[in-house]
Amino acid sequence: MTFSPELEERFAKFLTSYPPGRQRSAMIPMLLYAQDELGSISDEVIDEVARRVGVTPLQVNEVLSYYSMLHKKPLGKYHVQVCTNISCLLMDGDKLWDHACKKLGIGHKEVTADGEISLEEVECMGACSWAPAIQVNYDFHHKVTPEKLDQLLDSLRKKP
Amino acid sequence: MANKIDILGSAAAIAKGMGVTFKEMLSPTVTEYYPDEPAKFEERFRGVHVLQRDLNGMEKCVACFLCAAACPANCIYIEAAENTEQVRISGGERYAKVYNIDYNRCIFCGYCVEACPTDAITHGHGFEAASYNTSTLIKRKEDMLAPIPPGAHPPVVTPASPAAH
Amino acid sequence: MADLVKLTIDGREVQAAPGTLVIDAAKTVGIEIPAFCYYEGLSLAAACRMCLVEVEKMPKMMTACTLPVAEGMVVRTETPQVKAARKGTLEFLLTNHPLDCPVCDKGGECELQDMVFRYGAGESRYNETKIHVPEKQYSPVVFFDAPRCILCFRCIRTCNEGMGVGALGVINRGAVSEIAPSSGDHLECDECGACIDICPVGALTSGTYRYQTRPWEMTHVATICTHCADGCKTTLGTRNDRIIRGNNRDRSGINGEFLCIKGRYAFDFYDAGERLQAPLARVNGKLEEVSWSEALLLVAKRFNQVLADGGSFGVIGSNHTSNEENYYLQKFAREVLRTSHIDHHRTGDVVALVDALSGQTGKLATVADLYERKAVVVLGADLSLEHPLLSNQIRANWRHHQAHVYAVSAGTVREDKYAVASVRVGNAAETSDPSRFAHPQGKASAAEYLAALEQLRDKLKAEPELVMLFDDSFKGGDVRKLVEFGESLGIPVKYIGLVDYSNSRGAIDMGLTPELLPGYKASGQPGLHLEEMLAAELSALWVVGANPFQSGAARKAGFLVVQDMFLTETAALADVVLPAASAYEKNGTVTNVTGEVQKLKHAINTMGAKPDLEIMGFIAREMGVAGSLGPWIPDAVFDEIRKNVRGYEVPAPVIATGGAAQTAPVNGRVPVELRPDLVHSDHNGLFASGTLGRYSKVLHTVLESRLSR
Repeated sequence: MTFSPELEERFAKFLTSYPPGRQRSAMIPMLLYAQDELGSISDEVIDEVARRVGVTPLQVNEVLSYYSMLHKKPLGKYHVQVCTNISCLLMDGDKLWDHACKKLGIGHKEVTADGEISLEEVECMGACSWAPAIQVNYDFHHKVTPEKLDQLLDSLRKKP
Repeated sequence: MANKIDILGSAAAIAKGMGVTFKEMLSPTVTEYYPDEPAKFEERFRGVHVLQRDLNGMEKCVACFLCAAACPANCIYIEAAENTEQVRISGGERYAKVYNIDYNRCIFCGYCVEACPTDAITHGHGFEAASYNTSTLIKRKEDMLAPIPPGAHPPVVTPASPAAH
Repeated sequence: MADLVKLTIDGREVQAAPGTLVIDAAKTVGIEIPAFCYYEGLSLAAACRMCLVEVEKMPKMMTACTLPVAEGMVVRTETPQVKAARKGTLEFLLTNHPLDCPVCDKGGECELQDMVFRYGAGESRYNETKIHVPEKQYSPVVFFDAPRCILCFRCIRTCNEGMGVGALGVINRGAVSEIAPSSGDHLECDECGACIDICPVGALTSGTYRYQTRPWEMTHVATICTHCADGCKTTLGTRNDRIIRGNNRDRSGINGEFLCIKGRYAFDFYDAGERLQAPLARVNGKLEEVSWSEALLLVAKRFNQVLADGGSFGVIGSNHTSNEENYYLQKFAREVLRTSHIDHHRTGDVVALVDALSGQTGKLATVADLYERKAVVVLGADLSLEHPLLSNQIRANWRHHQAHVYAVSAGTVREDKYAVASVRVGNAAETSDPSRFAHPQGKASAAEYLAALEQLRDKLKAEPELVMLFDDSFKGGDVRKLVEFGESLGIPVKYIGLVDYSNSRGAIDMGLTPELLPGYKASGQPGLHLEEMLAAELSALWVVGANPFQSGAARKAGFLVVQDMFLTETAALADVVLPAASAYEKNGTVTNVTGEVQKLKHAINTMGAKPDLEIMGFIAREMGVAGSLGPWIPDAVFDEIRKNVRGYEVPAPVIATGGAAQTAPVNGRVPVELRPDLVHSDHNGLFASGTLGRYSKVLHTVLESRLSR
């Protein structure tokens, strides 16, 4: 399979970024960028990445299943990640999580029916000082309250 | 003088002896009228084995062979088989397709009962195992299995083709 | 060798070579450091944390399995801290491990059981519900029970590194980590079962052994696998005259603990429904069961009749029968039946190789050589499918000693992955075909191979030493050309001429050919070859364990006697069929592809069947000629072989104790004309084994599951 020209260019660069014989190191960045472009990592992508970095598809699957930020199922357009690790938990991150679940009517790693928003309960994101924290795609939101979350989710829906 | 003492001594001895007699006459009798009446057993009596079933009527034995391994007389013979969707005999993955105890050799030591991890094999109170024909002394699983408890409906209680050995 | 490193383990002075791991160094002085994930020969994982030891001047406990020895190191393995660590590790391992030992197949030989017994705590502090995942079937022979898995990754490593297949991996992380198969929900692999054997617990279980018995209930008999020519030792677990499993965990043979699907599972042909258990004789045109005495008398009478009439005999021997049987058979044919019409199906041109190597010693490689020599050339055969052990040896050699491997073949082969040079010649077969497991991957001529070798000449010349393997692409004069090429390199070169079956090599050595007597002596008596015998109008044809009529040839012989386990195409044409015992039901010796003689051990009895040697002996007795042939006892015949057959002067104690001794090649030209036209290999893949393979349920099931995908 082929990817977009930008992605192909990136892949070509990744494959030369590591010492000879260690092309497999390019696997994670390749998967991440492929996921950003395609929304999820299909079996076809797995086979292709495996072929390019010279490992078996099973080995790509091992990596894929290990890292929670890599997904085989398509996520929503906006992937909302709520931290419930210790710092956030102390600052009511768990209640924030329950609130989000109730509001969206979906649970962990699930997508709303319109495919717009997906939810994930994640571990520490390194934003303990501003707990509770959530992350929407690659954007952080700090000191989130249920009200702020409502506003945020509504604004996401309205975005074009 | 000596004669008097003798008489008294004898009388005392008779009284003592009769005392025992009268005491025993009044105490409850211990004689068992077996075989006219059923024999009585202590709970712990180690008689002919009983293979137990669980509440669902499934066999408790999972054919782990530990009883056979523990047996000092080497009298337990087992053949194991796997439970399937069609034939489900025991609660575990495996069941005893064949379970024989050779009562020619069994010494009723109870090691098998002690070894059993699922409390499947127990000593019953059966003791009338004597026979003129030693071949009848090899008891098969079917001879030793406890009855299915009332109300229980085990999926399959006997294999499709009874294991003959 | 570099200077030895001195260290102290538990107060004992230990000397070890630099680079030795502490766990191995401790073993040399009898100190056991427990471990699950550490496995000799495989890469290091340090996954189980069982081997933690205290090392002086190190702030924390170290994993002995990854710690190389250092000068002056002081290691303690029995301190309270170490004991507590082991106890803790085991408690963790048991968090989700079900306590179903009574039903688990591993119970009794489980490493976790042993370790907990020795080092573990009696009670667990966990009250939580254990994670349960239903059991999965990965292939017809591999089942996976996830909760039992302790994530030592031995299976993954043995599959990746040992077998070179890479069909197992680990997915997810933490407590929900699971061993996963290569292709969705099933395995796409060699089905060798090495993962099952190496599993320290009962997580991977064997489809055939599952829930059959318990390890202590079995009798273990170490014998030689009767399928391909590699001569792997397979230790059969038997109970009540039934073979329940095969493995070689004690590494007692030339194969270490390696076995392929055939050695581990395909013993099941002995129990096939088609197995003959009574002699058959043709009555009114139909084969009917008769008693042994009737059948033997019938054969003896007829043989004597033909002898008296001055008729002609033909004798066809087998690639599976023991050396003793082959020797006795050719003696019977030559001395009693007075015929030179004796042959067998030749699967490799050993005669040409022995002839080409005349005048030189030590030129035939052993199985061990493939692991030790610095460079190997594989010509033609797809070794990993046709000769799994040899392929495994080469792979291990590359892994452990960085051996240089050259793969010259028509299609892609597994050796390509690590070969320093792969050369493609001739026509490759379609490789995406799943049935490739039973077929060769292409075809090329010896000339093409030799041309490819010429290209490699400079590279090969630079090697310090070499082993060359070739299949039946090289026959007759081509073998000589190959040897000439090898000798022109100016380095020590050893050779292996590949043959197909468990005693293909022994059949040639024992003179089952018209032109050669045992030990490659010329018979000087012209005789008919196999194909010619089928076409000739012989008065009597005697077939022992072979299936020459498989091709559908019409029977011409006046009287046909067949000794076989099954009613093969050949047996179906016979006048008398005598049910033979399998290799697992008799004693004797067999010679493998590299000429190593090993002992077959009687493992079970099958009712009705008799070893071929005994059958021949009985026929001789009925004919009244037993005296001249000598006793039909395997040991006695082997003694005779050792005395009479050139090359078989092997030390008897080595063979008797289950060892392997290589037969020395004949030193001198083989004084006969080569017959390359008679050599033809079946190129059995992993899941095929000639006529014998047809009767193995396991091979069938596996092949069918392949083809149905």
